[in-house]
Amino acid sequence: MPPQAYIDQAWFERERELLFKPLWQFVGLKVMLEEHNAFITRTLFGIPVVVQNFHGELRAFENICPHRQNPIQTASHGVRALTCGYHGWKFDREGAPANIPFEIELYRYPQQERDCLHLRRFALECIGNLVFINLSPEPMPIKQQLGAATIATLAQSSLAYDSEVIMTTYDARFNWKLVYENLRDAHHPLFLHARTLNKSATFKAILNEDALVGLKRMREEGIPDQARARALLRSFSGGGRDVPIDEPVPRYPWFDELVRYRDQDWYYNWLVFPNLHIASGTGGYSFTIEHHIPVGPDRTEMIVYFVTSKKKQPYAASTAVLHELMIGTDGILREDIGVLEQIQRTLHPDARSAHLGDYEYINAGIEQWYMDLMEGKIEL
Amino acid sequence: VVGSGILLHSAAAAWAELDPALELRTLAIDPQGGRAAWASALDSVELDGASAFVAVDAQFLNFRRLELVDVLRQRGVPMPPLVSSTAYVGAGIEIQENCWIGHGAIIQHGCRIGANVVIGAGAIVGAGTEIRDAAWIDEGVTVGREARIGANASLGLGVVIGHGVAVGDLSIIDKPGRIEADVAARTFIHASHTNPIVVTGS
Repeated sequence: MPPQAYIDQAWFERERELLFKPLWQFVGLKVMLEEHNAFITRTLFGIPVVVQNFHGELRAFENICPHRQNPIQTASHGVRALTCGYHGWKFDREGAPANIPFEIELYRYPQQERDCLHLRRFALECIGNLVFINLSPEPMPIKQQLGAATIATLAQSSLAYDSEVIMTTYDARFNWKLVYENLRDAHHPLFLHARTLNKSATFKAILNEDALVGLKRMREEGIPDQARARALLRSFSGGGRDVPIDEPVPRYPWFDELVRYRDQDWYYNWLVFPNLHIASGTGGYSFTIEHHIPVGPDRTEMIVYFVTSKKKQPYAASTAVLHELMIGTDGILREDIGVLEQIQRTLHPDARSAHLGDYEYINAGIEQWYMDLMEGKIEL
Repeated sequence: VVGSGILLHSAAAAWAELDPALELRTLAIDPQGGRAAWASALDSVELDGASAFVAVDAQFLNFRRLELVDVLRQRGVPMPPLVSSTAYVGAGIEIQENCWIGHGAIIQHGCRIGANVVIGAGAIVGAGTEIRDAAWIDEGVTVGREARIGANASLGLGVVIGHGVAVGDLSIIDKPGRIEADVAARTFIHASHTNPIVVTGS
Protein backbone atom coordinates (compact mmCIF):
# COMPACT_ATOMS: atom_id res chain seq x y z
CA MET A 1 0.00 0.00 0.00
CA PRO A 2 1.23 3.53 -0.54
CA PRO A 3 2.76 5.26 2.49
CA GLN A 4 -0.16 7.70 2.49
CA ALA A 5 -2.36 4.85 3.76
CA TYR A 6 -0.35 4.93 6.97
CA ILE A 7 0.41 8.60 7.49
CA ASP A 8 -2.16 10.80 5.77
CA GLN A 9 -4.99 12.45 7.75
CA ALA A 10 -7.33 12.75 4.75
CA TRP A 11 -6.78 9.06 3.97
CA PHE A 12 -7.54 8.22 7.59
CA GLU A 13 -10.85 10.11 7.46
CA ARG A 14 -11.80 8.43 4.19
CA GLU A 15 -10.98 5.09 5.78
CA ARG A 16 -13.37 5.88 8.62
CA GLU A 17 -16.22 6.59 6.22
CA LEU A 18 -15.62 3.76 3.74
CA LEU A 19 -14.34 0.98 5.98
CA PHE A 20 -15.08 1.47 9.66
CA LYS A 21 -18.52 3.02 9.56
CA PRO A 22 -20.05 0.22 7.47
CA LEU A 23 -18.32 -2.54 9.48
CA TRP A 24 -19.29 -4.11 12.77
CA GLN A 25 -16.67 -3.25 15.33
CA PHE A 26 -15.80 -4.93 18.59
CA VAL A 27 -16.49 -2.60 21.49
CA GLY A 28 -16.04 -4.63 24.69
CA LEU A 29 -16.75 -7.72 26.74
CA LYS A 30 -20.24 -8.64 27.83
CA VAL A 31 -18.92 -9.96 31.13
CA MET A 32 -18.10 -6.34 32.05
CA LEU A 33 -21.72 -5.33 31.39
CA GLU A 34 -23.66 -7.91 33.34
CA GLU A 35 -25.50 -5.76 35.90
CA HIS A 36 -28.10 -3.04 35.51
CA ASN A 37 -26.45 0.31 34.71
CA ALA A 38 -23.06 -1.29 33.96
CA PHE A 39 -21.44 0.60 31.10
CA ILE A 40 -18.32 0.85 28.98
CA THR A 41 -17.19 3.82 26.91
CA ARG A 42 -14.91 3.80 23.89
CA THR A 43 -13.95 6.31 21.26
CA LEU A 44 -14.07 4.53 17.92
CA PHE A 45 -12.38 6.45 15.12
CA GLY A 46 -13.13 9.67 16.99
CA ILE A 47 -16.77 8.81 17.74
CA PRO A 48 -17.53 8.55 21.49
CA VAL A 49 -19.68 5.52 22.24
CA VAL A 50 -21.32 4.26 25.42
CA VAL A 51 -22.72 0.76 25.83
CA GLN A 52 -25.09 0.59 28.79
CA ASN A 53 -27.03 -2.20 30.46
CA PHE A 54 -30.71 -1.34 31.04
CA HIS A 55 -32.15 -4.09 33.23
CA GLY A 56 -30.28 -6.76 31.29
CA GLU A 57 -30.57 -5.25 27.82
CA LEU A 58 -27.50 -3.71 26.21
CA ARG A 59 -27.89 -0.51 24.21
CA ALA A 60 -25.24 1.53 22.39
CA PHE A 61 -25.45 5.30 22.04
CA GLU A 62 -23.25 8.18 21.05
CA ASN A 63 -21.79 9.29 24.37
CA ILE A 64 -22.65 12.97 23.95
CA CYS A 65 -25.34 14.77 25.89
CA PRO A 66 -27.59 16.63 23.40
CA HIS A 67 -27.73 19.63 25.74
CA ARG A 68 -24.12 20.88 25.82
CA GLN A 69 -22.16 17.99 24.18
CA ASN A 70 -20.68 16.77 27.46
CA PRO A 71 -19.81 13.06 27.59
CA ILE A 72 -22.53 11.36 29.62
CA GLN A 73 -20.33 8.59 31.00
CA THR A 74 -16.77 9.69 31.62
CA ALA A 75 -15.07 6.56 32.98
CA SER A 76 -13.93 3.74 30.67
CA HIS A 77 -16.25 1.36 32.52
CA GLY A 78 -18.31 1.21 35.67
CA VAL A 79 -21.82 0.98 37.04
CA ARG A 80 -23.79 4.22 36.90
CA ALA A 81 -27.11 5.41 35.47
CA LEU A 82 -26.94 7.09 32.07
CA THR A 83 -26.96 10.58 33.53
CA CYS A 84 -24.94 13.58 32.39
CA GLY A 85 -22.87 15.01 35.21
CA TYR A 86 -22.98 18.55 33.80
CA HIS A 87 -26.68 19.43 34.24
CA GLY A 88 -28.15 16.16 35.48
CA TRP A 89 -29.98 15.00 32.36
CA LYS A 90 -30.93 11.35 32.72
CA PHE A 91 -31.58 9.09 29.69
CA ASP A 92 -33.72 6.00 29.32
CA ARG A 93 -33.18 2.80 27.35
CA GLU A 94 -34.44 4.49 24.18
CA GLY A 95 -31.88 7.27 24.57
CA ALA A 96 -34.60 9.82 25.34
CA PRO A 97 -34.21 12.25 28.26
CA ALA A 98 -36.19 10.63 31.07
CA ASN A 99 -35.54 13.53 33.38
CA ILE A 100 -34.26 17.05 32.76
CA PRO A 101 -33.98 18.80 36.12
CA PHE A 102 -35.82 22.15 36.10
CA GLU A 103 -37.00 21.49 32.55
CA ILE A 104 -40.22 23.49 32.76
CA GLU A 105 -38.71 26.34 34.73
CA LEU A 106 -35.46 26.81 32.81
CA TYR A 107 -35.35 25.04 29.45
CA ARG A 108 -38.88 25.49 28.04
CA TYR A 109 -38.12 23.51 24.87
CA PRO A 110 -40.88 23.54 22.23
CA GLN A 111 -42.31 20.02 21.91
CA GLN A 112 -40.83 19.60 18.44
CA GLU A 113 -37.34 20.37 19.73
CA ARG A 114 -37.87 18.28 22.86
CA ASP A 115 -38.69 15.29 20.66
CA CYS A 116 -35.31 15.61 18.93
CA LEU A 117 -33.26 15.35 22.11
CA HIS A 118 -32.64 11.62 21.71
CA LEU A 119 -29.17 10.20 21.85
CA ARG A 120 -27.94 8.80 18.57
CA ARG A 121 -28.34 5.04 18.85
CA PHE A 122 -26.09 2.44 17.24
CA ALA A 123 -26.87 -1.15 16.30
CA LEU A 124 -25.47 -3.71 18.72
CA GLU A 125 -24.89 -7.44 18.47
CA CYS A 126 -23.40 -9.92 20.92
CA ILE A 127 -21.42 -12.92 19.77
CA GLY A 128 -20.99 -14.96 22.92
CA ASN A 129 -19.16 -12.59 25.26
CA LEU A 130 -18.03 -10.23 22.52
CA VAL A 131 -20.05 -7.04 22.01
CA PHE A 132 -20.02 -5.46 18.56
CA ILE A 133 -21.59 -2.23 17.40
CA ASN A 134 -22.16 -0.70 13.99
CA LEU A 135 -22.00 3.06 13.41
CA SER A 136 -23.98 2.93 10.16
CA PRO A 137 -27.68 3.89 10.16
CA GLU A 138 -28.28 0.86 7.92
CA PRO A 139 -25.88 -1.81 9.15
CA MET A 140 -25.18 -4.90 7.13
CA PRO A 141 -26.08 -8.17 8.85
CA ILE A 142 -23.11 -9.17 11.01
CA LYS A 143 -23.16 -12.60 9.41
CA GLN A 144 -22.35 -10.91 6.11
CA GLN A 145 -19.18 -9.53 7.65
CA LEU A 146 -17.90 -12.42 9.74
CA GLY A 147 -19.55 -15.53 8.34
CA ALA A 148 -21.33 -18.28 10.20
CA ALA A 149 -18.25 -20.39 10.97
CA THR A 150 -16.31 -17.49 12.51
CA ILE A 151 -19.34 -16.38 14.51
CA ALA A 152 -19.76 -19.92 15.83
CA THR A 153 -16.16 -20.32 16.97
CA LEU A 154 -16.09 -16.82 18.49
CA ALA A 155 -19.33 -17.49 20.36
CA GLN A 156 -18.23 -20.85 21.65
CA SER A 157 -14.77 -19.76 22.75
CA SER A 158 -15.82 -16.45 24.30
CA LEU A 159 -18.52 -18.11 26.37
CA ALA A 160 -15.66 -19.90 28.12
CA TYR A 161 -14.44 -16.55 29.54
CA ASP A 162 -14.56 -15.95 33.27
CA SER A 163 -16.29 -12.84 34.61
CA GLU A 164 -13.14 -11.44 36.29
CA VAL A 165 -11.25 -9.31 33.79
CA ILE A 166 -8.11 -7.20 33.82
CA MET A 167 -7.83 -4.51 31.18
CA THR A 168 -4.99 -2.24 30.17
CA THR A 169 -4.32 0.28 27.42
CA TYR A 170 -1.26 0.91 25.28
CA ASP A 171 -1.02 4.27 23.51
CA ALA A 172 0.79 3.06 20.39
CA ARG A 173 2.30 5.44 17.85
CA PHE A 174 1.57 3.61 14.61
CA ASN A 175 -1.20 3.18 12.06
CA TRP A 176 -3.73 0.51 12.98
CA LYS A 177 -3.14 -1.42 9.73
CA LEU A 178 0.40 -2.25 10.77
CA VAL A 179 -1.07 -4.39 13.57
CA TYR A 180 -3.39 -6.46 11.42
CA GLU A 181 -0.59 -7.00 8.93
CA ASN A 182 1.73 -8.04 11.75
CA LEU A 183 -0.83 -10.47 13.19
CA ARG A 184 -1.30 -12.15 9.81
CA ASP A 185 2.46 -12.53 9.33
CA ALA A 186 3.37 -15.92 10.81
CA HIS A 187 7.04 -15.50 9.92
CA HIS A 188 7.93 -12.68 12.30
CA PRO A 189 7.71 -14.56 15.65
CA LEU A 190 10.78 -16.59 14.66
CA PHE A 191 12.84 -13.41 14.79
CA LEU A 192 10.99 -10.71 16.72
CA HIS A 193 9.68 -13.04 19.44
CA ALA A 194 12.61 -15.46 19.49
CA ARG A 195 13.07 -15.03 23.23
CA THR A 196 9.41 -14.86 24.19
CA LEU A 197 6.42 -16.17 22.25
CA ASN A 198 8.38 -18.38 19.89
CA LYS A 199 9.84 -20.28 22.83
CA SER A 200 6.44 -21.58 23.85
CA ALA A 201 4.90 -22.22 20.41
CA THR A 202 6.67 -22.47 17.09
CA PHE A 203 4.92 -20.45 14.43
CA LYS A 204 5.68 -21.35 10.81
CA ALA A 205 4.79 -19.39 7.73
CA ILE A 206 3.27 -21.56 5.01
CA LEU A 207 2.70 -21.16 1.31
CA ASN A 208 -0.75 -21.79 -0.13
CA GLU A 209 -0.52 -22.23 -3.87
CA ASP A 210 -4.31 -22.27 -4.35
CA ALA A 211 -4.65 -19.00 -2.48
CA LEU A 212 -1.88 -17.48 -4.58
CA VAL A 213 -3.72 -18.46 -7.76
CA GLY A 214 -6.87 -16.84 -6.37
CA LEU A 215 -4.93 -13.71 -5.47
CA LYS A 216 -3.48 -13.48 -8.97
CA ARG A 217 -6.96 -13.84 -10.46
CA MET A 218 -8.33 -11.13 -8.15
CA ARG A 219 -5.55 -8.78 -9.21
CA GLU A 220 -6.19 -9.42 -12.88
CA GLU A 221 -9.97 -9.50 -12.92
CA GLY A 222 -10.82 -7.25 -9.99
CA ILE A 223 -13.69 -7.75 -7.55
CA PRO A 224 -16.84 -7.91 -9.65
CA ASP A 225 -19.56 -6.93 -7.19
CA GLN A 226 -20.62 -6.29 -3.61
CA ALA A 227 -21.41 -9.96 -3.01
CA ARG A 228 -17.84 -10.94 -3.89
CA ALA A 229 -16.46 -8.02 -1.85
CA ARG A 230 -18.38 -9.26 1.18
CA ALA A 231 -17.33 -12.87 0.58
CA LEU A 232 -13.71 -11.75 0.59
CA LEU A 233 -14.36 -9.68 3.72
CA ARG A 234 -15.64 -12.80 5.47
CA SER A 235 -12.47 -14.66 4.51
CA PHE A 236 -10.36 -12.12 6.43
CA SER A 237 -11.74 -13.29 9.78
CA GLY A 238 -11.49 -16.70 11.39
CA GLY A 239 -9.58 -18.70 13.90
CA GLY A 240 -9.28 -21.53 16.35
CA ARG A 241 -6.40 -23.99 16.69
CA ASP A 242 -3.20 -22.48 15.36
CA VAL A 243 0.00 -24.30 16.40
CA PRO A 244 0.78 -26.88 19.08
CA ILE A 245 2.34 -25.57 22.29
CA ASP A 246 5.93 -26.76 22.49
CA GLU A 247 6.93 -29.51 24.92
CA PRO A 248 7.10 -29.46 27.85
CA VAL A 249 3.68 -27.86 28.02
CA PRO A 250 3.63 -25.53 31.05
CA ARG A 251 1.14 -26.47 33.70
CA TYR A 252 0.37 -23.89 36.37
CA PRO A 253 -1.34 -24.72 39.69
CA TRP A 254 -4.19 -22.32 38.89
CA PHE A 255 -5.19 -24.45 35.92
CA ASP A 256 -6.85 -26.75 38.47
CA GLU A 257 -9.20 -23.93 39.47
CA LEU A 258 -10.60 -23.50 35.95
CA VAL A 259 -12.96 -25.10 33.47
CA ARG A 260 -10.73 -25.38 30.42
CA TYR A 261 -11.86 -24.34 26.96
CA ARG A 262 -11.42 -27.57 25.03
CA ASP A 263 -8.75 -30.03 26.11
CA GLN A 264 -5.85 -29.64 23.72
CA ASP A 265 -2.38 -28.16 24.19
CA TRP A 266 -2.74 -25.77 21.28
CA TYR A 267 -2.10 -22.11 20.83
CA TYR A 268 -5.50 -20.76 19.79
CA ASN A 269 -5.70 -17.67 17.62
CA TRP A 270 -8.71 -15.73 16.36
CA LEU A 271 -8.30 -12.85 13.95
CA VAL A 272 -11.38 -10.71 13.44
CA PHE A 273 -11.04 -8.15 10.68
CA PRO A 274 -10.40 -5.31 10.96
CA ASN A 275 -9.10 -4.75 14.46
CA LEU A 276 -9.68 -7.55 16.95
CA HIS A 277 -7.28 -10.32 17.91
CA ILE A 278 -7.91 -13.03 20.48
CA ALA A 279 -5.33 -15.59 21.54
CA SER A 280 -5.00 -18.35 24.08
CA GLY A 281 -1.38 -19.25 24.66
CA THR A 282 -2.22 -21.63 27.49
CA GLY A 283 -4.29 -24.13 25.56
CA GLY A 284 -7.66 -22.74 26.60
CA TYR A 285 -6.98 -21.75 30.23
CA SER A 286 -6.62 -18.05 29.53
CA PHE A 287 -7.33 -15.56 26.78
CA THR A 288 -5.84 -12.29 25.61
CA ILE A 289 -8.21 -10.00 23.72
CA GLU A 290 -6.56 -7.17 21.81
CA HIS A 291 -8.66 -4.36 20.41
CA HIS A 292 -6.78 -1.95 18.16
CA ILE A 293 -8.68 1.32 17.96
CA PRO A 294 -7.58 3.84 15.31
CA VAL A 295 -7.07 7.26 16.87
CA GLY A 296 -5.17 8.99 14.08
CA PRO A 297 -3.13 8.00 11.04
CA ASP A 298 -0.09 7.45 13.25
CA ARG A 299 -1.77 6.54 16.52
CA THR A 300 -3.62 3.46 17.74
CA GLU A 301 -5.13 2.80 21.14
CA MET A 302 -4.56 -0.83 22.03
CA ILE A 303 -6.99 -2.00 24.68
CA VAL A 304 -5.97 -5.42 25.93
CA TYR A 305 -8.14 -7.61 28.14
CA PHE A 306 -6.96 -10.68 29.99
CA VAL A 307 -9.33 -13.35 31.25
CA THR A 308 -9.03 -16.93 32.35
CA SER A 309 -11.52 -19.58 31.41
CA LYS A 310 -14.41 -19.87 33.88
CA LYS A 311 -13.57 -20.61 37.49
CA LYS A 312 -14.90 -23.82 38.99
CA GLN A 313 -15.41 -21.72 42.12
CA PRO A 314 -13.92 -18.46 43.43
CA TYR A 315 -10.30 -18.79 44.62
CA ALA A 316 -8.17 -16.31 46.54
CA ALA A 317 -5.36 -15.85 44.02
CA SER A 318 -7.51 -15.21 40.93
CA THR A 319 -6.52 -11.53 40.80
CA ALA A 320 -2.87 -12.52 41.03
CA VAL A 321 -3.34 -14.89 38.10
CA LEU A 322 -4.77 -12.11 35.93
CA HIS A 323 -1.94 -9.80 36.95
CA GLU A 324 0.63 -12.47 36.05
CA LEU A 325 -1.02 -13.01 32.67
CA MET A 326 -0.85 -9.32 31.97
CA ILE A 327 2.78 -8.98 33.02
CA GLY A 328 3.70 -12.14 31.10
CA THR A 329 2.18 -10.87 27.86
CA ASP A 330 3.47 -7.33 28.25
CA GLY A 331 6.92 -8.22 26.90
CA ILE A 332 5.53 -9.79 23.71
CA LEU A 333 3.19 -6.86 23.11
CA ARG A 334 6.01 -4.38 23.59
CA GLU A 335 8.18 -6.27 21.09
CA ASP A 336 5.40 -5.86 18.52
CA ILE A 337 4.68 -2.25 19.46
CA GLY A 338 8.37 -1.39 19.32
CA VAL A 339 8.91 -2.66 15.78
CA LEU A 340 5.63 -1.22 14.48
CA GLU A 341 6.48 2.19 15.91
CA GLN A 342 9.88 1.93 14.22
CA ILE A 343 8.18 1.23 10.89
CA GLN A 344 5.79 4.13 11.38
CA ARG A 345 8.70 6.49 12.03
CA THR A 346 10.36 5.50 8.74
CA LEU A 347 7.28 6.30 6.63
CA HIS A 348 7.09 9.54 4.65
CA PRO A 349 5.11 10.56 1.54
CA ASP A 350 7.82 9.38 -0.87
CA ALA A 351 8.65 6.18 0.98
CA ARG A 352 8.49 3.01 -1.12
CA SER A 353 5.65 0.57 -0.63
CA ALA A 354 6.18 -2.75 1.12
CA HIS A 355 7.18 -5.76 -0.99
CA LEU A 356 5.19 -8.72 0.25
CA GLY A 357 6.45 -12.27 -0.30
CA ASP A 358 4.29 -15.19 -1.38
CA TYR A 359 3.91 -16.35 2.22
CA GLU A 360 2.12 -13.04 2.88
CA TYR A 361 -0.73 -13.92 0.55
CA ILE A 362 -3.34 -13.14 3.22
CA ASN A 363 -2.08 -9.61 3.71
CA ALA A 364 -1.71 -9.20 -0.05
CA GLY A 365 -5.35 -10.22 -0.53
CA ILE A 366 -6.58 -7.83 2.13
CA GLU A 367 -4.45 -5.08 0.59
CA GLN A 368 -5.97 -5.60 -2.84
CA TRP A 369 -9.50 -5.59 -1.41
CA TYR A 370 -8.77 -2.57 0.80
CA MET A 371 -7.31 -0.51 -2.05
CA ASP A 372 -10.33 -1.31 -4.24
CA LEU A 373 -12.56 -0.09 -1.39
CA MET A 374 -10.57 3.08 -0.86
CA GLU A 375 -10.53 3.82 -4.59
CA GLY A 376 -14.29 3.39 -4.78
CA LYS A 377 -14.16 0.29 -7.01
CA ILE A 378 -16.19 -1.69 -4.47
CA GLU A 379 -18.67 -0.76 -1.73
CA LEU A 380 -19.67 -2.55 1.43
CA VAL B 1 14.63 -18.90 57.26
CA VAL B 2 12.93 -20.58 54.33
CA GLY B 3 12.49 -18.93 50.98
CA SER B 4 14.33 -17.21 48.19
CA GLY B 5 15.45 -13.88 46.87
CA ILE B 6 16.18 -10.59 48.53
CA LEU B 7 14.08 -11.16 51.63
CA LEU B 8 15.82 -14.45 52.35
CA HIS B 9 19.23 -12.79 52.15
CA SER B 10 18.07 -9.73 54.09
CA ALA B 11 16.72 -11.87 56.91
CA ALA B 12 19.85 -14.03 57.01
CA ALA B 13 22.15 -11.00 56.91
CA ALA B 14 20.23 -9.29 59.70
CA TRP B 15 20.19 -12.36 61.90
CA ALA B 16 22.88 -11.14 64.29
CA GLU B 17 20.90 -8.04 65.12
CA LEU B 18 17.67 -10.01 65.65
CA ASP B 19 18.70 -12.40 68.41
CA PRO B 20 22.28 -13.69 68.52
CA ALA B 21 21.21 -16.55 70.76
CA LEU B 22 19.17 -18.12 67.98
CA GLU B 23 20.87 -20.57 65.66
CA LEU B 24 20.21 -19.66 62.05
CA ARG B 25 19.58 -22.18 59.32
CA THR B 26 18.58 -21.11 55.87
CA LEU B 27 16.75 -23.25 53.37
CA ALA B 28 16.60 -21.87 49.85
CA ILE B 29 13.64 -23.12 47.87
CA ASP B 30 12.32 -22.42 44.39
CA PRO B 31 9.23 -20.23 44.90
CA GLN B 32 7.78 -21.61 41.68
CA GLY B 33 8.35 -25.19 42.82
CA GLY B 34 4.95 -25.79 44.36
CA ARG B 35 3.81 -27.47 47.54
CA ALA B 36 5.16 -30.95 46.78
CA ALA B 37 8.65 -29.66 46.05
CA TRP B 38 8.61 -27.42 49.15
CA ALA B 39 7.43 -30.28 51.34
CA SER B 40 10.22 -32.44 49.98
CA ALA B 41 12.80 -29.73 50.68
CA LEU B 42 11.50 -29.30 54.23
CA ASP B 43 11.89 -33.04 54.83
CA SER B 44 15.65 -32.48 54.76
CA VAL B 45 15.50 -30.11 57.73
CA GLU B 46 15.01 -30.93 61.41
CA LEU B 47 11.96 -28.88 62.37
CA ASP B 48 11.35 -30.16 65.91
CA GLY B 49 11.65 -27.22 68.30
CA ALA B 50 12.38 -24.83 65.45
CA SER B 51 10.67 -21.63 64.54
CA ALA B 52 10.52 -20.49 60.95
CA PHE B 53 10.43 -17.32 58.99
CA VAL B 54 9.11 -17.56 55.44
CA ALA B 55 11.00 -15.20 53.17
CA VAL B 56 9.67 -15.03 49.62
CA ASP B 57 9.85 -11.79 47.67
CA ALA B 58 6.72 -9.99 46.52
CA GLN B 59 5.31 -11.93 43.62
CA PHE B 60 1.93 -13.27 42.65
CA LEU B 61 0.44 -10.67 45.03
CA ASN B 62 2.28 -12.40 47.88
CA PHE B 63 0.21 -15.55 47.51
CA ARG B 64 3.37 -17.54 46.79
CA ARG B 65 4.66 -16.65 50.23
CA LEU B 66 1.33 -17.52 51.82
CA GLU B 67 1.33 -20.94 50.20
CA LEU B 68 4.73 -21.69 51.73
CA VAL B 69 3.51 -20.36 55.08
CA ASP B 70 0.63 -22.80 54.83
CA VAL B 71 2.98 -25.73 54.24
CA LEU B 72 4.93 -24.85 57.39
CA ARG B 73 1.77 -24.23 59.40
CA GLN B 74 0.55 -27.71 58.53
CA ARG B 75 3.75 -29.03 60.12
CA GLY B 76 3.04 -27.10 63.29
CA VAL B 77 6.06 -24.84 62.98
CA PRO B 78 5.60 -21.49 64.79
CA MET B 79 6.42 -18.42 62.73
CA PRO B 80 6.99 -15.47 65.08
CA PRO B 81 7.53 -12.03 63.58
CA LEU B 82 11.08 -10.80 63.04
CA VAL B 83 11.78 -7.20 63.99
CA SER B 84 15.18 -5.67 63.37
CA SER B 85 16.76 -4.31 66.53
CA THR B 86 17.44 -1.09 64.63
CA ALA B 87 13.77 -0.62 63.75
CA TYR B 88 11.59 1.65 65.87
CA VAL B 89 8.24 0.22 66.87
CA GLY B 90 5.95 2.59 68.78
CA ALA B 91 3.69 1.83 71.69
CA GLY B 92 0.64 -0.37 71.52
CA ILE B 93 1.50 -2.22 68.35
CA GLU B 94 0.79 -5.89 67.90
CA ILE B 95 2.73 -7.55 65.13
CA GLN B 96 1.34 -10.83 63.85
CA GLU B 97 3.11 -14.01 62.75
CA ASN B 98 5.77 -14.15 60.07
CA CYS B 99 6.07 -10.37 59.72
CA TRP B 100 9.34 -8.74 58.84
CA ILE B 101 10.21 -5.26 60.06
CA GLY B 102 13.49 -4.29 58.41
CA HIS B 103 16.55 -2.32 59.43
CA GLY B 104 15.79 1.23 60.48
CA ALA B 105 12.05 1.03 59.73
CA ILE B 106 9.80 3.26 61.81
CA ILE B 107 6.36 2.07 62.88
CA GLN B 108 4.64 4.84 64.82
CA HIS B 109 2.27 4.27 67.73
CA GLY B 110 -1.17 2.81 67.32
CA CYS B 111 -0.49 0.93 64.09
CA ARG B 112 -2.02 -2.45 63.39
CA ILE B 113 0.17 -4.87 61.48
CA GLY B 114 -1.44 -8.03 60.11
CA ALA B 115 0.15 -11.43 59.59
CA ASN B 116 2.79 -12.02 56.93
CA VAL B 117 3.41 -8.33 56.39
CA VAL B 118 6.82 -7.21 55.13
CA ILE B 119 8.00 -3.70 55.95
CA GLY B 120 11.34 -3.04 54.30
CA ALA B 121 14.38 -1.24 55.62
CA GLY B 122 13.91 2.45 56.21
CA ALA B 123 10.16 2.42 55.57
CA ILE B 124 8.01 4.74 57.69
CA VAL B 125 4.46 3.90 58.76
CA GLY B 126 2.55 6.78 60.33
CA ALA B 127 0.61 6.59 63.58
CA GLY B 128 -2.73 4.80 63.57
CA THR B 129 -2.22 3.16 60.21
CA GLU B 130 -3.45 -0.34 59.48
CA ILE B 131 -1.39 -2.70 57.36
CA ARG B 132 -3.48 -5.73 56.57
CA ASP B 133 -2.35 -9.33 56.13
CA ALA B 134 0.31 -10.18 53.57
CA ALA B 135 0.90 -6.61 52.48
CA TRP B 136 4.37 -5.72 51.19
CA ILE B 137 5.88 -2.33 51.97
CA ASP B 138 9.13 -1.90 50.09
CA GLU B 139 12.30 -0.29 51.40
CA GLY B 140 12.04 3.43 52.03
CA VAL B 141 8.30 3.67 51.40
CA THR B 142 6.42 6.22 53.48
CA VAL B 143 2.85 5.60 54.60
CA GLY B 144 1.08 8.52 56.24
CA ARG B 145 -0.97 8.62 59.42
CA GLU B 146 -4.35 6.85 59.72
CA ALA B 147 -3.89 5.20 56.34
CA ARG B 148 -4.98 1.69 55.40
CA ILE B 149 -3.03 -0.70 53.23
CA GLY B 150 -5.16 -3.61 52.05
CA ALA B 151 -4.43 -7.31 52.27
CA ASN B 152 -1.88 -8.59 49.74
CA ALA B 153 -1.23 -5.06 48.52
CA SER B 154 2.30 -4.08 47.48
CA LEU B 155 3.92 -0.66 47.63
CA GLY B 156 7.09 -0.35 45.56
CA LEU B 157 10.20 1.77 45.90
CA GLY B 158 9.66 5.50 46.05
CA VAL B 159 5.94 5.35 46.84
CA VAL B 160 4.51 7.79 49.37
CA ILE B 161 0.99 7.19 50.66
CA GLY B 162 -0.75 10.27 52.04
CA HIS B 163 -2.42 10.62 55.41
CA GLY B 164 -5.76 8.84 55.62
CA VAL B 165 -5.46 7.21 52.20
CA ALA B 166 -6.87 3.71 51.74
CA VAL B 167 -5.17 1.35 49.33
CA GLY B 168 -7.49 -1.53 48.48
CA ASP B 169 -6.77 -5.23 48.81
CA LEU B 170 -4.75 -6.94 46.10
CA SER B 171 -3.38 -3.70 44.66
CA ILE B 172 0.12 -2.91 43.47
CA ILE B 173 1.57 0.58 43.39
CA ASP B 174 4.93 0.29 41.69
CA LYS B 175 5.43 3.80 40.39
CA PRO B 176 7.40 6.31 42.43
CA GLY B 177 5.34 9.26 43.60
CA ARG B 178 2.69 10.43 46.02
CA ILE B 179 -0.72 8.81 46.27
CA GLU B 180 -3.18 11.24 47.83
CA ALA B 181 -6.51 9.64 46.83
CA ASP B 182 -7.89 6.24 47.75
CA VAL B 183 -6.93 3.37 45.45
CA ALA B 184 -9.65 0.82 44.72
CA ALA B 185 -9.05 -2.85 45.41
CA ARG B 186 -7.37 -4.77 42.57
CA THR B 187 -5.78 -1.68 41.04
CA PHE B 188 -2.33 -1.85 39.48
CA ILE B 189 -0.28 1.28 39.06
CA HIS B 190 2.91 0.49 37.18
CA ALA B 191 5.63 2.82 35.95
CA SER B 192 5.38 1.16 32.53
CA HIS B 193 1.67 1.89 32.07
CA THR B 194 0.22 5.38 31.81
CA ASN B 195 -3.13 4.59 33.39
CA PRO B 196 -4.01 2.52 36.44
CA ILE B 197 -5.06 -0.98 35.51
CA VAL B 198 -8.19 -2.24 37.25
CA VAL B 199 -9.68 -5.68 37.57
CA THR B 200 -13.45 -5.87 37.16
CA GLY B 201 -15.94 -8.61 37.93
CA SER B 202 -15.53 -11.55 40.25
